[in-house]
Amino acid sequence: MGQIILGVGDYGASNSPGDVVKTFALGSCVSVIFLDPKSRTVGMAHIALPDSSINKAKAAEKPGYFADTAIPALLTKMSKFGCDKRGKGMIVKLCGGANVMDTNDTFQIGKRNALAIKKILWSYGMGAIAEDLGKNFSRTVSISVAAGQITLSSPGKPNWQL
Amino acid sequence: MTKKISHEELQKIVTSVPMLSASASQLLQLTAKEDHDLIDVINLVRNDANLTARVLKVVNSAAFSLVNKVTSIDRAISYLGERIIVSIAIGDCAGKLFQKELSGYEAAGGDLWKHDLRTAIASREVVFQSGVDLNPALAFTAGLLHDIGKALISDYLQGSVIDAVEIVSAEEELNYLDAEEILVGFDHTQAGYELAKAWQLPEELAEVIRHHHNPANAKEEYRLLVYAVHLGDNIAMMGGFGTGSDSMRYKLDNNYKNYINITPNSLATVMLNVDIEFEKLESSLNNSGDET
Repeated sequence: MGQIILGVGDYGASNSPGDVVKTFALGSCVSVIFLDPKSRTVGMAHIALPDSSINKAKAAEKPGYFADTAIPALLTKMSKFGCDKRGKGMIVKLCGGANVMDTNDTFQIGKRNALAIKKILWSYGMGAIAEDLGKNFSRTVSISVAAGQITLSSPGKPNWQL
Repeated sequence: MTKKISHEELQKIVTSVPMLSASASQLLQLTAKEDHDLIDVINLVRNDANLTARVLKVVNSAAFSLVNKVTSIDRAISYLGERIIVSIAIGDCAGKLFQKELSGYEAAGGDLWKHDLRTAIASREVVFQSGVDLNPALAFTAGLLHDIGKALISDYLQGSVIDAVEIVSAEEELNYLDAEEILVGFDHTQAGYELAKAWQLPEELAEVIRHHHNPANAKEEYRLLVYAVHLGDNIAMMGGFGTGSDSMRYKLDNNYKNYINITPNSLATVMLNVDIEFEKLESSLNNSGDET
């Protein structure tokens, strides 16, 4: 059984039933999760910022970092596992995107990340069927490829499923 | 489950913490002064053989991938910059404190140092991106030290994480400082301030440690610096580098706008630069330490 650990700006996919895909401590970052029931593939991206226009070089080097480049990159990666290139038939779930307390618009990066991601998903005709977004705590996410089950954890809280 | 810390106990905890090395202490004093010269920093480091060796090791580490080996301390310091010298000096003499596992926050060993380093980098980036009139190296140093109080009270908070999270979740106005105070009698900024006094830190650094969650309470002359670190701290937490259970569970003081002008785009640039700089700095500081 393997663990695929994704850092900030990483994205990855697996169809090995023994694998677990995991990312630690999402603050304002958002984890986009694609589950493809047909090929039994799980994909995840750990997205830090909404828009790659602030640094094209970084986006080229680490497409998973920005919402607008992460989603196409993740879809391309998953297509190698036999998934539809435009995400047809995939189940989408989102988590993370927290904000510190009393944030104003400028500091609501978590919210802006989630919005940017949803907009891009729409352009593919995709939409999240489940989400655990916002509030003010960090989240660690892990997905078992075999069951497609998503477990979230945060210090001081019992684990929960999405 | 937790027990309140009395004033006497807090003093005992503070005195049990090793003092800063002479060179670290002098470096903090020196770099806090607005009109200091790099040559003074160089002279200070030169007089400490261990620190000199460490600085040379860092500059020649893989992270900086220099073509030619740097053998002169002058060149090493000019290349690395003050902030990295300060990080090395603090990491060397107070490393144990910074690397400590914060079990009272369910944070692993090293998490506090990473959070502090991210806060330091972010505070400095905030200065650059906003263009405020503030010494960026001082913002960095202040960021590095801001949360030192957590290492002091963490042991006393052991086993309290569920209670603390319950406290802050139950009432909207309460943040993690309130939870700390309810549970052990002191919050981490009060504890850190006591250590700042014992370490005889420059006043501006002590003010940051004490007020980084409530910058409005800082002395007016240091308030801009405190706001910069306040933002840096929040940016570090937003980037996924908190210290466990308290991460994101603090209030952002929106009055920062009266001191620091930051747009959504410049904030995004700060966050990106923090990731880039952190990777470089962390690996250079880590890879150079163990073999000496």
